[in-house]
Amino acid sequence: MQLSQKEAQTLLKKYKIDFPKTEIFKENYIKRTDLKFPLVLKIDSPDIIHKSDMGLVFTGLKSLHDINQNLRTSATILKMHKIEDYNFQLQETITGDEIIMGMKRDTSFGPVILFGLGGIFVEVIKDVSMRIAPLTKTMCIEMIDSIKGIKILEGYRNAKPANKEKLAELLMKLSDISIKEKQIQEIDFNPVIVNDKKAVVVDARIIAENV
Amino acid sequence: MFEKFFNPKSVAVIGASRKKNSAGHGILKSLLKGGVFKSNTNRAFKGKIYAVNPNANKILGVKCSASILEIKEKIDLAIIVVPSKIIPEIMKQCAEKKIDSAIIISAGFSEIGKEGIELENEILHIAKKNNIRILGPNCLGLLRPSSNINASFGPCMPRHGNVAFFSQSGALIDSVIDWSLENNFGFSTIVSLGNKIDITSEELLLWAAADKETKAIALYLEDIKDGKKFMEIAKKVSQLKPIIALKAGRLGAGIKAVSSHTGGLAGSYEIYKTAFRQSGVQIADSVDDLFEMSEALANQPPCENGIAIITNGGGAGVLCADHCEELGIKLAKLSRETLYKLDTSGKMHPAYSRNNPLDLVGDALSERYDTAIEILMQQKDIHGLIVIQTLQTMTQPLLDAKAVLKARKKYPGKPIITSYMGGKFSRKAVELLETNKVPDFNVPYKAAKAMKGLIDRYYWLN
Repeated sequence: MQLSQKEAQTLLKKYKIDFPKTEIFKENYIKRTDLKFPLVLKIDSPDIIHKSDMGLVFTGLKSLHDINQNLRTSATILKMHKIEDYNFQLQETITGDEIIMGMKRDTSFGPVILFGLGGIFVEVIKDVSMRIAPLTKTMCIEMIDSIKGIKILEGYRNAKPANKEKLAELLMKLSDISIKEKQIQEIDFNPVIVNDKKAVVVDARIIAENV
Repeated sequence: MFEKFFNPKSVAVIGASRKKNSAGHGILKSLLKGGVFKSNTNRAFKGKIYAVNPNANKILGVKCSASILEIKEKIDLAIIVVPSKIIPEIMKQCAEKKIDSAIIISAGFSEIGKEGIELENEILHIAKKNNIRILGPNCLGLLRPSSNINASFGPCMPRHGNVAFFSQSGALIDSVIDWSLENNFGFSTIVSLGNKIDITSEELLLWAAADKETKAIALYLEDIKDGKKFMEIAKKVSQLKPIIALKAGRLGAGIKAVSSHTGGLAGSYEIYKTAFRQSGVQIADSVDDLFEMSEALANQPPCENGIAIITNGGGAGVLCADHCEELGIKLAKLSRETLYKLDTSGKMHPAYSRNNPLDLVGDALSERYDTAIEILMQQKDIHGLIVIQTLQTMTQPLLDAKAVLKARKKYPGKPIITSYMGGKFSRKAVELLETNKVPDFNVPYKAAKAMKGLIDRYYWLN
């Protein structure tokens, strides 16, 4: 069973994990938002794994008009796919490098923690590192340093280096969740956006055992 | 621990058979002669051998009893080769006879399904109640050259060596023994794990850690039932002795519907590899890799990263350097002092490379090897050597090997791995090297890979 965004965010809060300011609602028309533009619009539904493949992630929204236009488009797409169980999710935009972090509970070895470059890197190149939990800080740093694309995170062509310390902290928290929350079977933090200041979980997909 | 398995004074084969092609016949013969296939490594078991078969009087000259209970003398180890259905009954007899160690060779257990699982549970129940330890079922048995015991239907006794091999495949053991005789490879022990209903690979790791004859542990695994436990024990044992594992069943991801990215990326073999690395278990890619790494790790010290290559062939040296780079092995820069020593030794060819790889040039005689090895070993940040020899009209394989052995003795903390490229004409020299515990590899890639094993070991321990 996949946790809803609300449930997922409750869990993130419990472990003091940073995620962007978010508004969750069902209506396909809004009159105001307290969030800071530009915004991202996404759909949260247990029936959808790859939101972007379905054309259901809209980035760089600069006005209420932008939002409402895309809400209408989304509603049409959802209807077309006969998806009824969903919420809209509006988020502030974070800029930086895309990372994937995750956890899978293996029946023999226990929780396995994964780290890698996100976006197309993870899909195409599978540039990831893994460790079996519990993790120590040293192990987290090792995980980060052992991916092939580490140079991308260390700053290339005048880009500021990503905050490795924050990434390592986030990995520690993921390890902590995997040890304490035994009902959780799989986690995708995809993407985590990292820049020189912070590492933020932009999308969390959490699968728990059916209780 | 497991003393009666590895060093029994008396053994009974329950289910000894007259049929020449049966396991019950093969095992009895293996005990009596050391092996069914002729080999100069075969040694007859020195303790008492009993045979149990209600329908025969004598097999291979051994008097048969109708039941284990008819034997009056004490029995240390029972080897059971009867149809699986009657094994519970046999186990009860073993309990009555106060036997506490048993190898169950027979198949027909959990590997055949539900009925077999029930049978395993029944046997395990009897065993636990009566403090009987079981190896197997569905296994090949075990071999221990130093105790002259071949309690298996493997072809013959392997050479006595210092690698313990635990295998989840019995048939693989058969072929490995045959191969090992051709490749100067020896074993302290070989154990076929079978279905592991009682004795597990983890327990055997602990046993091998304490075994004086074992210097490295080679594992062939198909599954690990309790991964957490395995990691906990492997982490401890790998501090004491190198463990090298070959894992089969690497594909198989994608069987289960994938629900998350992480689920899809963390395939079963990836998880095994992660667990191995995290507990100091070195990973072999193939059967030959498993034993080549084991041989190197059992006989050579761990190596800090930074080595030198000595060669009498430029091409072979460059090839080896390429492999080193791919594997992350650093080639140390020859120091000024080293170059000065080489230059003034009076032994180098005017056109020698003055570089690492150190090319001694094709006409190098053993004296040149000897000088170069000695001078490079003196350089502090050269922590190990790969010595390559190509065969030219003037090459002296045996004398070159002696130069290597001399340096091994003088610098015990620095490993040397050789690559005598060739075959027929270097065989004697290779045998000399390998019987003196210097692993030799026909191709530079394998030498580099073995060196990488020693380097990984160094960083695991430090």
